[in-house]
Amino acid sequence: MHGDVGAEGPGGLRTAARVSTLALIAGLPVVLLGGVAIWLGPRITEGLDHRAVAAWRTVFTAIVIQGVPFLLLGTVVSATISAFVPAWVFTRVLPRNPALAVPVAGAAGAVLPGCECASVPVAGSLMRRGVAPAAALAFLLSAPAINPIVLVATYVAFPNSPWMVAARLIASLLTSVAMGWLWIRAGREEWLRLPKGPTGHAPGASRAEEFRVSLQHDFLHAGGFLVVGAAAAATFNVAVPHSVLRLFSDSLWLSLPMLGLLAVVLAVCSEADAFVAASLTGFSPTARLAFMVVGPMVDLKLIALQSGTFGRAFAVRFSSATWVVAVLCSGLVGWWLL
Amino acid sequence: MKRNVQVLLLLFLGVGLLHISLLTDLYLRYVRAGLRPALIASGVLLIALGAVSAARDGFPFNRPRAEGGQGHDDGHGHAGGPKVAWLLYVPALTILFLAPPALGSYTASRDEAEAPKAPSSASSSGESLFPALPDTGVAPMSLNDFSARAVWDTDGTLEGHTVRLTGFVTPGRHGAWYVSRLVISCCAADAQVRKVRVHGAPAPPADTWVAVTGTWHPTGKAGTGNASPALDATAVRRVPEPKDPYHDMG
Repeated sequence: MHGDVGAEGPGGLRTAARVSTLALIAGLPVVLLGGVAIWLGPRITEGLDHRAVAAWRTVFTAIVIQGVPFLLLGTVVSATISAFVPAWVFTRVLPRNPALAVPVAGAAGAVLPGCECASVPVAGSLMRRGVAPAAALAFLLSAPAINPIVLVATYVAFPNSPWMVAARLIASLLTSVAMGWLWIRAGREEWLRLPKGPTGHAPGASRAEEFRVSLQHDFLHAGGFLVVGAAAAATFNVAVPHSVLRLFSDSLWLSLPMLGLLAVVLAVCSEADAFVAASLTGFSPTARLAFMVVGPMVDLKLIALQSGTFGRAFAVRFSSATWVVAVLCSGLVGWWLL
Repeated sequence: MKRNVQVLLLLFLGVGLLHISLLTDLYLRYVRAGLRPALIASGVLLIALGAVSAARDGFPFNRPRAEGGQGHDDGHGHAGGPKVAWLLYVPALTILFLAPPALGSYTASRDEAEAPKAPSSASSSGESLFPALPDTGVAPMSLNDFSARAVWDTDGTLEGHTVRLTGFVTPGRHGAWYVSRLVISCCAADAQVRKVRVHGAPAPPADTWVAVTGTWHPTGKAGTGNASPALDATAVRRVPEPKDPYHDMG
């Protein structure tokens, strides 16, 4: 069948044989998979209901797209910190005693305008720069919750209850400081897999090059985990109809943790969660406060981002403890103010 | 992840962001309009980062490093960059080639419409919260405005007026159908449902965009929160899908 192979001699023949063997080996799985896909494909898509899949893809894409600018902002800030801000700045600004540094760092969260995607890489770079982990964690929790953009959004979403803004500010600050102190008392260094610099500090590399490498590394790393979190959040978003929650709106003691859980699985951006909370009519103001306090601190995409940056052992422990503290604090503050 | 693959990813993601925000309006299917400048800036920054990286690291083939490579392959994927970053190719290629549609009747049919908020200062100010509708012709209204009036307006400003509502078709139970909208405050993950039941017209196919002209169909007692918005349709006309599907207007 290969008429001209003979002319090239046995070498050409052997090559042709090897190529066709490779083609067969490579082609077989393709043909098999293709067959399975053609055979099962329609059944699978039928079973999944096209429209649910389309809705999942839309929500997934939406969470990633609205996260990317904030993630980029966060990684630019964190790369700036690691490349241009010398370590002594932080030791000079923050009190030496970690117990005092925690509230200062928590209050400093007000200056980073952005949602929660931005704060994780920044907290990582702060730790790399020698800031006490407890203080960096307080900053991590408070930054997305108490910055001016979020507070203004809260005010717009709750035009009739200005106390909601104050309650959110106080409860969020309280939670982040409490978690910082809790870390000092109960935290262990070995849970925290401190982020390494992407290349270490190459002696010859310029500042700008260091900035570029660390920006690229941090963005791609956190971006990958953002995708994981967005996929999980989109799954819950499409699978669980919100009306299920109405079942729990009657009892205060059930609705508080229920809305806390909802905040975790919906993973709404902290700049938008006030509007979602405002739409949860039928729930008590305290339960809605819990939704807004938990949301920026614990949610699926944050857990994914944190386990990427600080390690899974840390993310699981820290997130669950934060959730409990956040629900308690919002219950207290809500009982006091709302 | 190799450095040349990282460069490719940065460029894909940057071009994808510019594609949906600068060249087309596809971003409106996913996020609010106000995020456009941030998306464009991110796209430009990612492309710039990709270009610089391409120049420094070599593209499409890695340039061997002068100092002998990264030198610390510590076995958890940091050698050339994080492995998890591969996942970013999914949204990057999705927005470039397979942009999913805006949310539609599937989402709208699964949630109850959020009850429009009770008007705030009804008791304090004596005058009506709902300004009177124009007396002549057809008044285009947002679903939100119509629903709020239908549920809370005790002065009956809707009575005797012909209104036009625009939205997509969501089928309900027992042949009922709704003209509906999804309203987002940040991204499609926080979409809230607005829907008005349509009486007196056969249901068009789900997800068709229609302009429904008709008069208010009173249900329940207004002002108590147990009324629901409904319309007696006189005409149902197909309209093209609006540029921003989440912007609720008449």
